Amino acid sequence: MSWFGFLEAHAPLLVILFPLCGGLLCPFLSKIHGTWGKRVVMVCLFLSVVLSIWQLVLVHEQGVLHYWLGNWRPPYGIELAIDGVNGLVVALVSVISWLTALYSSPFEVVSKGSKGWVRTAGYYSILAFLSVGLLGMASAGDAFNLYVFMEITALSGYGLIAIGEEKGPIAAFRYLLTGTIGASMYLLGVGFLYAATGTLNMTDLSIRLETLGDSPLVILAAACLVVGFGIKMALFPLHGWQPAAHSYAHPAADPMIAGIMIKVPAYGMLRFFFYIFYENSPVMELFFQAIGIMGALGILFGSLKALRYSAYNKILAYSSIGQVGYIAMGFAIGNIYGLMGAVLHILSHAFMKTGLFYTSGALKYKYGIHEITSFGQIYKDMPTTATAMVVCALSMVGLPPFAGFFSKWYLAMGAIENGQYLYVAILILSSLLSAIYFFRIFEELFMGKRIEERKKDGPLPWQMLLPLGAVAAAVIGLGLGNSSLVSELLKPTLLEVFLV
Amino acid sequence: MMIDSMRPMAALAIPMAAALLILLFGNKIKPNLREAITMAAAILMAATVFSMAQEVTSGKELIGVLLPIADGIDLKLKVDSAGMIFASIASGLWILTSVYSIGYMRGHEEKNQTGYFAAFAMCLASAAGIAFAANLLTFFIFYEMLTIATYPLVVHHRDEKAKKAGRKYLAYTLISGQLFFAAIVFVYVKYGVCEFVAGGFMMPEAMEKPVMCLLFLLMILGGAVKAGVMPLHGWLPSAMVAPTPVSALLHAVAVVKAGVFCVFRVVCYVFGPESAAWCGGAGILSWFAAITIVLSSLIALQQDNLKARLAYSTVGQLSYIVLGISLLSAYSITGALFHMVAHAFLKITLFMCAGAIFVRLHLSEISTMGGLARRMPVTAGCFAVASLGLAGLPLMSGFVSKANLLAGAAAMGKPFFIVVLLGAALLALSYLMPVSAIFFGKQISHRAEPMDGASTMVIPLTLTVTVGILLGIWPNLGLHLYDLAIQAAAAIMEGGAGLG
Repeated sequence: MSWFGFLEAHAPLLVILFPLCGGLLCPFLSKIHGTWGKRVVMVCLFLSVVLSIWQLVLVHEQGVLHYWLGNWRPPYGIELAIDGVNGLVVALVSVISWLTALYSSPFEVVSKGSKGWVRTAGYYSILAFLSVGLLGMASAGDAFNLYVFMEITALSGYGLIAIGEEKGPIAAFRYLLTGTIGASMYLLGVGFLYAATGTLNMTDLSIRLETLGDSPLVILAAACLVVGFGIKMALFPLHGWQPAAHSYAHPAADPMIAGIMIKVPAYGMLRFFFYIFYENSPVMELFFQAIGIMGALGILFGSLKALRYSAYNKILAYSSIGQVGYIAMGFAIGNIYGLMGAVLHILSHAFMKTGLFYTSGALKYKYGIHEITSFGQIYKDMPTTATAMVVCALSMVGLPPFAGFFSKWYLAMGAIENGQYLYVAILILSSLLSAIYFFRIFEELFMGKRIEERKKDGPLPWQMLLPLGAVAAAVIGLGLGNSSLVSELLKPTLLEVFLV
Repeated sequence: MMIDSMRPMAALAIPMAAALLILLFGNKIKPNLREAITMAAAILMAATVFSMAQEVTSGKELIGVLLPIADGIDLKLKVDSAGMIFASIASGLWILTSVYSIGYMRGHEEKNQTGYFAAFAMCLASAAGIAFAANLLTFFIFYEMLTIATYPLVVHHRDEKAKKAGRKYLAYTLISGQLFFAAIVFVYVKYGVCEFVAGGFMMPEAMEKPVMCLLFLLMILGGAVKAGVMPLHGWLPSAMVAPTPVSALLHAVAVVKAGVFCVFRVVCYVFGPESAAWCGGAGILSWFAAITIVLSSLIALQQDNLKARLAYSTVGQLSYIVLGISLLSAYSITGALFHMVAHAFLKITLFMCAGAIFVRLHLSEISTMGGLARRMPVTAGCFAVASLGLAGLPLMSGFVSKANLLAGAAAMGKPFFIVVLLGAALLALSYLMPVSAIFFGKQISHRAEPMDGASTMVIPLTLTVTVGILLGIWPNLGLHLYDLAIQAAAAIMEGGAGLG
């Protein structure tokens, strides 16, 4: 078999395996030479980016990819299943992981001194493992492996939050407590499903659950899963851990934590509730209503809370609670447009929130500021950062032609088709509230009182400029190009949900 | 007949490219070179737009599909007679305003000119997009772009007053924009199309009367805010803190006319005269417009600040156009479209005069301008002529449009509106002529040599007023704008309701 064929055949596994190898090799190489460790992580993550995009092309051409680990057939073996939806999530995760690894290098994670390599190695290893966990969660074809990867994600997340700012360890501990409850709830739910059906493979589960209907065990499982995923994706009112974790995590890793760590569980919720459970049963309707109410309240809560803070990271963190609500609302709407909107919002919000946290990190890196009141006319010193901030923020508000507008467009279409006008009203209200808190930032950014003694020492290093530019370009590209993505990949894949 | 063409796209791309160039290099190159970019873009854009006039006058429509923008909808441009009118005045006046801007901004030593000229170009690109948009989504995208691009111009001075005006502006435009958005999604979900059709695509009795009326009002709201229909006009007078060229082009031509144009597209190309009349929305709109005409004139009478008086005059004049549209007769629609032209040339002259006076003599209050004609004879003369034209004196362009509006009101058998139109013409005389009377009256204090200020300011305002007069004598001079207005009105009256 040629190299090419080998890569193609094993792409779903290799996407996860490369960062894993990188993460494991990193400490050893770091011991040998200060920068080798982080280089190998970056190279591995880049390979993963290439493969994940290649795999997406394959999915587009051939349909769903089923990869059996060691060629063991499911339900005995481990299966990775990639379709149009999670293929996109995998690509998203790998791209943002790689960009974030690149973005991290100017930060002083490379410490001098005899034990400096430990810090470097630790940081980049954990970053790689976080990526492994998220990639695995998105690709897993069976419920238990999803749990394993969920734990890998969580453990690496704790690490990256704890090495952050002063309050990092407390935030990490808080996340550890709630996160563990979330993971346990998920495991419990999967346990109930296993008891009811005797299988853990997702395709198998969905076939067997169809005949089971609304048995109490299934209902219990669904309830556990809502709570489990709800905690992991910081869905109101299960968001308690999130604001602190997102504002105090390591500034270099924060973009990834805030951008995709809460998105992959959201995808997990989609997978379970639309592909595995039989979504048309009356009980499931109730669950969707509950998710919708949580989402809607989260949107209002997050936006209103964001108005009260003047710390940039806090504003962004609370805004995430609201934005995750959009995704949940898409699930609750539950028709094709609702789901398209939800998945598109997973992508677009990941890019824009990552972008905003890149700007936050850049401001911290350069001037050590995080209060928006100290942003006074900083656009003159950091034009690229300011541009990226404007692009991402306008997209967050949901203004065309940026990505955020189009996810809102599909969500509104879905809600109106179902006659759920309240959801439309909430979408509008939330846009306006986010306009308030983002324009408050713009006022400082462009019109605030300029602090003159700011030193001028040239532009940011290219390792930071490139991710900033790439993410801003992605927000614009995803907006203008959403149609091909939606019509070619998302719609066909998501329509399968409604065929059964 | 429809022909595919690249020119509509070029008309958008030119100012957009200019905005980008100015933003990227504006601070690095000499101001003269930067302004050369603006001038070149303005001339190129106008040439592109004017080159299409011939084809449009002969009944052809130019189509340009850019890309699919959302599932099932294209980002599509179509040049029809009405769009041609709006694009011609916006792009034609951009050349003159650019010349004037250079004189004004330098004469006044304004700061941050790079951002100013970039945002200005972006506004023009959005205006062209609004003029040529072929469907509701495309329209909305450019409409929101215009909202955002105008914001930096409103807050140009970056002080507390400007910030307040900016907030007010955003509050009005974003809220109405979001409601407009909801209405667009509703229309698209219910009808499956959102392409503009002359005469509208909504059938009367397609939905319940109150629902359709509500939908009508929601959509109109988007336009009515920018068009300053009372009680939604609040932002317009406070946005006058912007530099005068902004007030001149944007608050007399591009932005407010975009609002009027939005009302026009919604009434005539989405609902169509039949449905608009059937649901009762047009009736409500015409009352609001009539009240606005009278009230704003009364308020204008009391303003001592020249720009404020002109702002309220704008509010009133725009409602002439809205009234013309909502009367739904061929005459009134012709009159409304032509009043867009007449008001553009005459009001821009008035604003340019106000700006010239401010730069030259630092006077902004009317009561301090006694005897000004002796110092700035050309400016004062142009002001007087434009005032007469706006009031609707025969042989001036204002007369052509108002005569058509009157004919429309008469044709529809609405004597009340005839009274309003006639009364308002007298009111317009009574709030504009006293200004001229003061100019030519007794001199207060200043006794220097006659000096009209920089020729970059005097020439444009002389040219605009000349065109304003010439169009009154030969309404079809140059681009056949009057024929285009008649053509558009005829298409609207003949066409309509192909879909249910």
